[in-house]
Amino acid sequence: MRWGDYIGVAPFLVFAILFLIVPTAFLMASAFVDREGGFTLDNIANLNTPQILSSFWISIRVSVASAAIGALVGLIFALAVIRGRLPQAVRSTVLTFSGVASQFAGIPLAFAFIATLGRLGLITWLFKTYLDLDIYRAGFNLLSFWGLTITYCYFQIPLMILIIAPAIDGLKKEWSEAAATLGATPVQFWRYVGLPVLWPNLLGTLSLLFANAFGAIATAYALTGSSLNIVPILLYAQIRGDVLNDPGLGAALALGMVVIAALANVVYLVIRTRAERWLK
Amino acid sequence: MKLRFVTMVSATALVAAGAIAPAFADASQQLVDAAKKEGQLTVIALPHDWCGYGAVIEGFKKKYPGITVNELNPDAGSGDEIEAVKANKGNTGPQAPDVIDVGLSFGPSSKEAKLIQPYKVSTWDSIPDSAKDADGYWYGDYYGVMAFLVNTDIVKTVPKTWADLQKPDYANAVALSGDPRVANQAIMSVHAAGLASGGKLGADAAKKGVDFFAKLNKAGNFVPVIGKAAPLAQGTTPIVTTWDYNALSWRDGFNGNPKAEVVVPSDAVVAGVYVQAISAYAPHPNAAKLWMEYLYSDEGQLGWLAGYCHPIRFNDLAARKAIPADMLAKLPDPALYAKAVFPTLDEQAAAKDVVVKTWDSAVGANVK
Amino acid sequence: MKQSRFWPWLIFALGSLYFLLPLIATFQFSLSIRRDTLSWDAYLNVFQAPAFQQTFSYSLVVGFAAVVVGVLIVVPAAYFVRLRAPQLRPVIEFVTLLPLIIPPIILVFGYIRMYNSSSLIPLTNSTIGTDVLLTLAYVALAMPYMYRAVDTGLRTIDVQTLTEAANILGANTATILLRIILPNITVAVLSGAFLTLAIVVGEFTIASLLNRPAFGVYMQNVGANRAYEPAALAVISFVITWAAMGMIQLLARFAPRTAARS
Repeated sequence: MRWGDYIGVAPFLVFAILFLIVPTAFLMASAFVDREGGFTLDNIANLNTPQILSSFWISIRVSVASAAIGALVGLIFALAVIRGRLPQAVRSTVLTFSGVASQFAGIPLAFAFIATLGRLGLITWLFKTYLDLDIYRAGFNLLSFWGLTITYCYFQIPLMILIIAPAIDGLKKEWSEAAATLGATPVQFWRYVGLPVLWPNLLGTLSLLFANAFGAIATAYALTGSSLNIVPILLYAQIRGDVLNDPGLGAALALGMVVIAALANVVYLVIRTRAERWLK
Repeated sequence: MKLRFVTMVSATALVAAGAIAPAFADASQQLVDAAKKEGQLTVIALPHDWCGYGAVIEGFKKKYPGITVNELNPDAGSGDEIEAVKANKGNTGPQAPDVIDVGLSFGPSSKEAKLIQPYKVSTWDSIPDSAKDADGYWYGDYYGVMAFLVNTDIVKTVPKTWADLQKPDYANAVALSGDPRVANQAIMSVHAAGLASGGKLGADAAKKGVDFFAKLNKAGNFVPVIGKAAPLAQGTTPIVTTWDYNALSWRDGFNGNPKAEVVVPSDAVVAGVYVQAISAYAPHPNAAKLWMEYLYSDEGQLGWLAGYCHPIRFNDLAARKAIPADMLAKLPDPALYAKAVFPTLDEQAAAKDVVVKTWDSAVGANVK
Repeated sequence: MKQSRFWPWLIFALGSLYFLLPLIATFQFSLSIRRDTLSWDAYLNVFQAPAFQQTFSYSLVVGFAAVVVGVLIVVPAAYFVRLRAPQLRPVIEFVTLLPLIIPPIILVFGYIRMYNSSSLIPLTNSTIGTDVLLTLAYVALAMPYMYRAVDTGLRTIDVQTLTEAANILGANTATILLRIILPNITVAVLSGAFLTLAIVVGEFTIASLLNRPAFGVYMQNVGANRAYEPAALAVISFVITWAAMGMIQLLARFAPRTAARS
């Protein structure tokens, strides 16, 4: 039955090759080509500058932070809505809203947060007028690492909710009832039954959230464009932009991003394989 | 190639005086027929609010009905346009751009990469030499000078010079209209600030410009958000440095809400030229040529002027009194334009190098 | 065993605050186009710009097509990987993450190079061909979300047992997929569908470079250099997309119910 297994995967593989892998390969290949068209490793070597290395580091940190927070908050929110036995209407609303919110990114999102938490934002103004509290004087600044992370969470959390919802649905009622019958507290239920079952899904979604944030540029650009140094912005500068650029370097940057995403994926796979050992 | 504006004026005045062929010649009937047979024109990176392109495109469509205009990606930067030309080699569909409008430095580089084809419009002679390629591959289309757009509802004392921006009155107020590592406009802003600080055009001014913005940032006056019409109106970036034509058109778009003023800083007036070219792989070369004829005719040039961009044949038009008085009245003081400096290709390249390399360590990366 | 519903409601309230406030701020700004007074002018300007309906319906149609194609491609693949070929899983999962990393503009230029009029599959030569290309591009963009959602859904049901039982009863693979697996992962597929639709409605770069009249292109044209219209557009786009998803959700109520969805 060997070949039969692959029939079902065939459409996917054909599609992936034609529409994902080959275009990417075009880009990856140009990482190894210099301006004249000859083979070179210079583009990769040129990645080793403080500016580029620090951009990778900041990118990773923002992605990890927003993925972790997004996953945690999303999980709590999804649990509250689905298992908290809130009305079905609430659940539907949350799911559809999450669908829209997960793609609400880029300039509209950056602007929405500027209009909310910026120096002249709605919340800033409310706090100043009614609570006599100037959050900017207290040290808050939207245009910072944490400001960016909070903004990213606007699409990370809904993404988490949407992806984890079916898994939470799969936590059968019978299990919590059985656990309660055996004397387990809710905490114990979650610790020994709930979370371990959800764990592989959580990891998978974390990996997705990480990649999602890692590749996101439009929001960061619109929010802190000139002062933030993340890889997609550098990539953008080389491949697009208004000034003469170095497409080879841009391709090398993209290659670097793909490698990091691959590494993150490997880490996730290793952890998940171990977690799944006792699950079928 | 280092012609200053004043020299340009005298040069074109001489040319205009000695002009034999009427500068307002219409395109030949042959060309019009060939273009109509092709039936389509594909343009890229032309936002309707930039230099009044919306009206210019409408004018072209009205003059030559039967030619559909495909407008690709108005959001594109010059780099995107070049990529689009390269990617569409061999494609005859409506995704292949016929003509491009790119920053000055992209002209020679596209010619070298064999991505564009030469064409000399009928009004070729009235285009200043410093703004065109001798073989006709690329030619300047319009220029503008770096200016400030100030939200006067929020900023009470309007800054008049680059030096003014450093004053404590402007805390959390000043923003660039793009990312100086990516966008031509932003790099030119830095360049201009450096010129105002006493630097020489090129790498020296760029370095002084980066220092200027570093100082601005440390003083707390610089806002790293990319300044556009919306954040300016909302108040996050009440002062934005951008091309005068953008500033004027955004100001008009506000319709008084918020009240805004356009200021051309008096201590340094830097001009930037954009250039037109026809793609070497254009699927509709005749339509492309017709488009060029239209753009460089009086009608097309005035269309840009209505969008507040100074068309490249401005002096020729002014000398022949072809500019309506009310249009002239809406433009800022011409005395300021008289002292505008046009950085050469080499100076621009040197400046861009310095800014792109040093921006992050001097101004950026304050996101911990 | 009446569980307190205090905590879920509190969490819901706090979450709603976080999500609604930025929208309210945007909405309030969009109403401020006239000095010192609130007005709907920005919205009128947006609706009056031609082709609002046209481009929105176009994007919806392309969106639905992308959902259908996406489901047809992803569900069998995820099913077979789960069941028979788990060794392919790392490869497939990595491939599905690619669209998140590679900027869409790279993808579209790749497609133009591969499918232009002088290649083997000249999709760009005709309008229908370009529409197909656009749909497939969106399937690619939505793939990370669709795959992850479907995979989560499949993980929740006991694929092995269901398949064996169905096999014993004489069902072939297509029947299994269509009548057993798919109904059981409706929630997951819906999640993927929502995400795909949201992507398609807002997408601009690919549609614009392929010269198709999509809603994202329309939004960009209307709002690019204005102050208040972009905020109005953001709100309109949000509300309309939400409404479209609400409709899908309603329609899904009529899908065959299964025990897993209690």
